[in-house]
Amino acid sequence: MRIRVKFLATFRTVFGGRERDVEVPQGGTVGDVLDLLGDTPERRKELFAGGALRPHVVVLRNGSPAVLGAPLVPEDTLAVFPFITGG
Amino acid sequence: MLPSSVPGWHGRILEVDLSAGRIEVKPLDPALALDYLGGRGLATRLLYDAIDPAGDPLGPENAVVIAASPLIGTNAPTAGRGHMVFKSPLTGVIGTSNSGGTWGAGFKASGYDALIVTGASPEPVFLDIAPDRVEVRAAAHVWGKTTHETTDILSAEGEGPRPVRVLCIGPAGENLVRFAAVANDRNRVYGRCGPGAVWGSKKLKAIRVRGREKTTLADKDKYRSGYDQALYLMKQAPVTKRLLRELGTAGLVELIDLINMLPHRNFQDCLHREEDVERISGETIARTILHKAAGCFLCPIGCQRHTRVAGPGGREERGEGPEYETVVLMGPVCGVYDLEAITRANYRANELGLDTISFGGTVACAMELAERGLIPRAGRDGLDLRFGNAAALEALTSLVARREGLGGDLAEGSYRLAASSGHPEYSMTVKKLEIPAYDPRASYTQALGYATSPTGACHLRGGYAVSLAFFGGTREIPRFSLLQSPVAIRNMQNAGILQDSLGVCRFTGYAFSSDPWARMVSGATGRDFSVARFEEIENRVAALERLFNLRAGATAADDCFPARFSETPILVGGKERRIVPEEMERMKRDYYRVRGWDEDGRPTKALLEALRLREDGR
Repeated sequence: MRIRVKFLATFRTVFGGRERDVEVPQGGTVGDVLDLLGDTPERRKELFAGGALRPHVVVLRNGSPAVLGAPLVPEDTLAVFPFITGG
Repeated sequence: MLPSSVPGWHGRILEVDLSAGRIEVKPLDPALALDYLGGRGLATRLLYDAIDPAGDPLGPENAVVIAASPLIGTNAPTAGRGHMVFKSPLTGVIGTSNSGGTWGAGFKASGYDALIVTGASPEPVFLDIAPDRVEVRAAAHVWGKTTHETTDILSAEGEGPRPVRVLCIGPAGENLVRFAAVANDRNRVYGRCGPGAVWGSKKLKAIRVRGREKTTLADKDKYRSGYDQALYLMKQAPVTKRLLRELGTAGLVELIDLINMLPHRNFQDCLHREEDVERISGETIARTILHKAAGCFLCPIGCQRHTRVAGPGGREERGEGPEYETVVLMGPVCGVYDLEAITRANYRANELGLDTISFGGTVACAMELAERGLIPRAGRDGLDLRFGNAAALEALTSLVARREGLGGDLAEGSYRLAASSGHPEYSMTVKKLEIPAYDPRASYTQALGYATSPTGACHLRGGYAVSLAFFGGTREIPRFSLLQSPVAIRNMQNAGILQDSLGVCRFTGYAFSSDPWARMVSGATGRDFSVARFEEIENRVAALERLFNLRAGATAADDCFPARFSETPILVGGKERRIVPEEMERMKRDYYRVRGWDEDGRPTKALLEALRLREDGR
């Protein structure tokens, strides 16, 4: 199934655009999508450290914090970005 | 010069009574220093002892208290912020405000731990502070001038060592605009709660400081262990290492819209077109108007935005900002998405000395009232006051600061403006302080923070719970947890109290929490400051702020929201969300209990004893 991923902030530069669609099999998880996004060493480094998602990386599924092991459905949209803070 | 009894503090408090023309230096009681640290903690204690919380905030009996901290004067990261405490003329409860830049470091270097200004001068004056000489000097030649002009003139004048730092009000403070601000380093602002009006009521135009008084370290190795840890963690955390420098605080705009928390049109809803939000994002600022990034004193983060836009007649204007709050409160909350107009209005606000959050929130309120036909005067003044009119927003900066025409009505703040039109319910405030750029219906925790903040609706004093929307449920508590919000927001509020009492920046909290500070303060002072001891201080300051507010006449009933937030839901993740009054009441009671206060929000006798405070707060 095709899953839409939106990028925000500095991840737009890292991942080469505002959005990307990725293909995952039925039963594919959020974690599977992130693995696919890490398709270059630079991108892997932005997302992962020591096999785990880096602490500042936000992954939202339909606007809520995503559980990495949760299986996706075709209508899901993910958003992936580094946590900025404001004033 | 008196010897300091505890390293880190000079051991001196400067007292200035502008009515009597009296200047005195008093010793700082070491017990007070150890129990309140500095900044917000120490200034709150000194204010509480200096004034009657029920007094007139624009009368001579109000005081302005500014305090430094034992870390200022060391090389601790970001340690140079100033903190100012006073009774607020906007809210009638405690006013507490904070600013970056370099003035706070300059004040500590002038040889004092705190300054208390009481009384009122019959003529405009400024305070000139150096280690060996403090004078009240005539300010007629800068009265009426902007913050920028005043800073430039007073910086160039006077004898003594350089550098010299200037803190001052603009015309807004002189005209007692209730949300007038005080500015240092030209564009760094003590924004919230209206300190500028208190200064204006005292005819205090500026405070100029100079000096090279040192803050020595009692235990260099202990200090160094905390310092090294702090620097290391700041380099590891992307927020402090890179993200804030690249995008500034406005990098948050699109993220907050994504989680349905970005307010619109006086908080009518959180609905925006994506293409409009993009026009005011941090990326767009970086791509179009940003000249360079910069940092405050000893700050490696670099979130300052030095920007330039086209002014009237095509001439280039330069200034700083807009920050996230300004971009939103003077943007979509007024129905405006024109970045250049927002930026010009921000430049005016900085020059005139206005809080951009309260200004934006008050203009938005006026726009809604006008659209509903509740301000007939708007038509007569020729001001086309409706949502989306960026020209009206820009024009109002000057009209408000000078109290001209309709500006005089807006200068009272949104609550008094709406109340005078017979409809206070259109003022989006808590305790008359305009709500910042995170819609409370989008997070129970943030809503509780706004309701229980000592100053009114504030994301800096109320606790910053926004990250829960990004990580909540997977790493932190979910943003709609009734059960966990009270403890969470109490902890967030306490983190802010510590940072404000040490003169350091909120953004360090994205890299580390209390432990490095505990080591640095222990090293600087030679005393044993642990995280637990810090917690006691945080709770002591929170209780004292609450006691002040109770004596000022505030009650648990004032920890509440305007009706819009319970009657009009917004859509968050496709689900309707609103503030349910019974649920808010439940969270409040739980929060009071967690704080050690009774069900009316009064600190209990047992708590006060544990904090070594008397029942009257002394």
